[in-house]
Amino acid sequence: MRKSITLYGLTFSLPLLVWQLLFFLFPLVFLIALSFWTVKNFRLQPDFDTANWVRMYGREVFWQAYFLTLALAASASVIASVLAFPCSYAIAFKFSETARRWSVFLMVIPFFTSYIVRVYSWQVFLSDNGIINAALAWVGLGPFGMLNTTFGTMIGYLTLSFPLVVLLQLFSLMFIDRTLIEAAHNLRCGRLRTVFEVVIPSAKVGLVIAALFCFILTFGDFVSPLYLGGGDPPTLSILITDTTKSGQQWPRAAVIALTMIATLLTVAFAAIGYAYRGRGR
Amino acid sequence: MPRFTPYAASTTRRTFLKGATALATGALATPFLNRRAFAEPTEITMLAWYGHAEPDVVAEFEAEHNVKFKSKYYTGGDNMLGLIAQSPPGTYDLILSDAEYVQQLNAAGYIEKLDPADYAFDEYFPEFQQFPGHWSGGELYSVFTRFGFLGVAYNTDAITEKEASSYRVYWLEKLKGKVGHFDWHLPNLGQMSLLNGNASPYDIDGNAWEKVKETTMSLRSQVGGFFDYGGTFSSLENGQMLSVAGIGDWITGVLEKNGAHVRTAIPEEGGLQWTESFSIGKGSQKADLAKKWIQYITSARGQVRSANMAAYPAMIPNKKGWELLAKETPEEAKRQGMLLGESNVMDLIRGGRIKYRQLPVQQSLEDWNDFWSDYKGS
Amino acid sequence: MSDFNRNPLIDWALKLYALLAFAFVFAPIAASFVFSFNEDRFPSLPLGGFSTKWYVAVATDPLVWEGLQNTLAVGLTVSIVATALGFGAAYTDFRYRFFGKPVYLALALLPPTIPVVILGLAMLAFLSRVELSGHGYSVMIAHVVMCAPFAMAIIRLRLSQMDPDLEAAAWNLGASEWGGMRHVILPFTRPAIFAALFITMAVSFDEFAVAWFVSGLNETLPVKVLGFLQGQVSPRINAIGTFVFVTSMVLVILAQVLLMKRSAGQDVVADDKE
Repeated sequence: MRKSITLYGLTFSLPLLVWQLLFFLFPLVFLIALSFWTVKNFRLQPDFDTANWVRMYGREVFWQAYFLTLALAASASVIASVLAFPCSYAIAFKFSETARRWSVFLMVIPFFTSYIVRVYSWQVFLSDNGIINAALAWVGLGPFGMLNTTFGTMIGYLTLSFPLVVLLQLFSLMFIDRTLIEAAHNLRCGRLRTVFEVVIPSAKVGLVIAALFCFILTFGDFVSPLYLGGGDPPTLSILITDTTKSGQQWPRAAVIALTMIATLLTVAFAAIGYAYRGRGR
Repeated sequence: MPRFTPYAASTTRRTFLKGATALATGALATPFLNRRAFAEPTEITMLAWYGHAEPDVVAEFEAEHNVKFKSKYYTGGDNMLGLIAQSPPGTYDLILSDAEYVQQLNAAGYIEKLDPADYAFDEYFPEFQQFPGHWSGGELYSVFTRFGFLGVAYNTDAITEKEASSYRVYWLEKLKGKVGHFDWHLPNLGQMSLLNGNASPYDIDGNAWEKVKETTMSLRSQVGGFFDYGGTFSSLENGQMLSVAGIGDWITGVLEKNGAHVRTAIPEEGGLQWTESFSIGKGSQKADLAKKWIQYITSARGQVRSANMAAYPAMIPNKKGWELLAKETPEEAKRQGMLLGESNVMDLIRGGRIKYRQLPVQQSLEDWNDFWSDYKGS
Repeated sequence: MSDFNRNPLIDWALKLYALLAFAFVFAPIAASFVFSFNEDRFPSLPLGGFSTKWYVAVATDPLVWEGLQNTLAVGLTVSIVATALGFGAAYTDFRYRFFGKPVYLALALLPPTIPVVILGLAMLAFLSRVELSGHGYSVMIAHVVMCAPFAMAIIRLRLSQMDPDLEAAAWNLGASEWGGMRHVILPFTRPAIFAALFITMAVSFDEFAVAWFVSGLNETLPVKVLGFLQGQVSPRINAIGTFVFVTSMVLVILAQVLLMKRSAGQDVVADDKE
């Protein structure tokens, strides 16, 4: 492993660093500073006042929203990962080369249709007089309240994250060394056991990264909890919007945002650490 | 930049880019062709709720003054304020906002002082000539252009007119989980304050404020959701919510016109009034043109367009506008109750049934908002 | 993989499951397609008459075309720049160990963790102070910041499947570092680079919250869609959605065909798919 700083190395390392320093670090620092500012006459005043932190952290509704959001995002990551795995597995191991290629492209397509349009479209399925309840009524069931519930929020979260989770899982499954699986089979290792003891460990990095991205996306999303969950009870992202409604209280919104960032960073580093643990590098 | 783009990708992308640009420019050119025949129009910028710079409202003015509106629509007053605060001064020539935000815009110094003599206030109904939120220290900062009422918005298949004649309708057993809130503390808490019998719903002492909180909290178990503009629209339309607190004809009117069975009633406890007005942004380079626009939209001609705006209907403060409206679109004048010489919306206002929606007087805005968050979270 | 473990029943069940997953993903898109031709303004059952009026409304709105042009320009630039930056960062993480690497990685991965509403305000606050706000390229700057982490994650994932000795082997055979990059790393990461290009473009196409703040008056299409949705709930959003969907389908199919032609024509070096 060569360690000296070379032009070659810098060509790859520097651009991102420069870009993020120029265009991201400052907004981030601004955000931190903003959380100490005060609001006078509906105008933001540079200041150093911990009042925003004290006030937000002292509120029950903040912690309520915090743990709710945490629970929702964690559930979404687990549900999306579990639901996506058989699908990615089938695409990776049961589909022909051509079908696999098309599957990848088909999973990319949803990214190109607006998320907000897709969520809005789900309302027609989930509402009391919607498509699903109409179908259920036809077989003599229902109606079930699905819109403006946590179930609705979850459907929205899956709409947001499911295709990405499948793609990331697929990426790691597709490139598993197949001789490993054949070896397991030759050793008369059962089907499920092969999946759990060979496939999943080999694809661990991808599976964890997929779940992590799902967590990151859903933790900060406000479209699904608002349009499919009815904003009730509020998640942190909704609380941010609410907080700005008391006459430019962006500083307090910044407190919520920074708390979210810290949480996500912790989760991200824990997940990455877990994913790469026990690997050579 | 390091060169590592695979060959195939760069060719496809290049052809794709070329094709896309050609397509886009071709399509772009068509709508502009007829306008190009004359001198290049002056561009004027407007920051507003959706619909205010659409052709049905601005086309006539654009043609007469060879102007082209460039609009930015916001979806919440607070985002609008944040946007202005962080944008270079003069970015927005015209700003349309609700009276509560005019106060905030003015306090923060984002809008220009106006000369009352420039505008036809003498054509306005007397009670609208000096609308409180638009003036500060005897100076004018914003010109009143349209208003509407907030009351009980309800589904006419599920709720009778009689039931909807009181805010108590929200507590009906059959509406459990079917009452929605428009997600903004001011109109909702104002309605609760009216229900509690406060004559000035926003100017209440500590005791009355506690009572408002109590009343509001007792509604929580009935609530099916908190919605923004779009969410309110669709949940009323598809019957997911049978009644929504905090809104009025500006939403149900649009739905009604499209065949939905919803309506807004002004209950016996009284209704609230929202108000929109135009201001000129601080540092605008086109203040003269902006002034001309405000003059136009507050004149009888402009007021008729404003009342009939496709995006959402509203009432107008100009009496001459009422006269013209009765001639040009009598049905809409009738539907909105803006006909002179018969029982109309001015009677409601003059009878004391309508109170202005405004910022809380004795409590801070934060107290109201924090309570609203607590309410939502409980 | 022909062995005793293959059970056709399970194979079919898995395939069926995958199809169901596709159905879930495409259900809202299909509904949006259907309702874009619905005469009624609000989507509900039963359907109203067939009408193309929403397409006409969209097609004749010059602001939509302007927004589309902005979106395309922004999306293409963002995908290329973000993928390039993300590739560099992924390779750096794969290849080098250096002081302050956790900070480097944090900077590279932080942006998607920031709630968009407030990131929008913070970005605007910064960009307007350096006079970069209110333009199409303002959105581009912000979107590269937000998209590069996605590109990095995807490419890094692919690199983690590579045997690190492969590159060293190339050097031992006399290849320069640049040569190793060209003949080993790039071919190996090619599928991931494509994926990153697509995903970053898609993320940019769909982002409206930050774009609303920084774009000022030069709005992109998603910002307009937000206006249509929150401002008046118009089926125009379905028309736009369908239009964008059909366009991207066509592009994807074109790319597919081109790719297949290419891989049929020449063998790809390190494509280890069987």
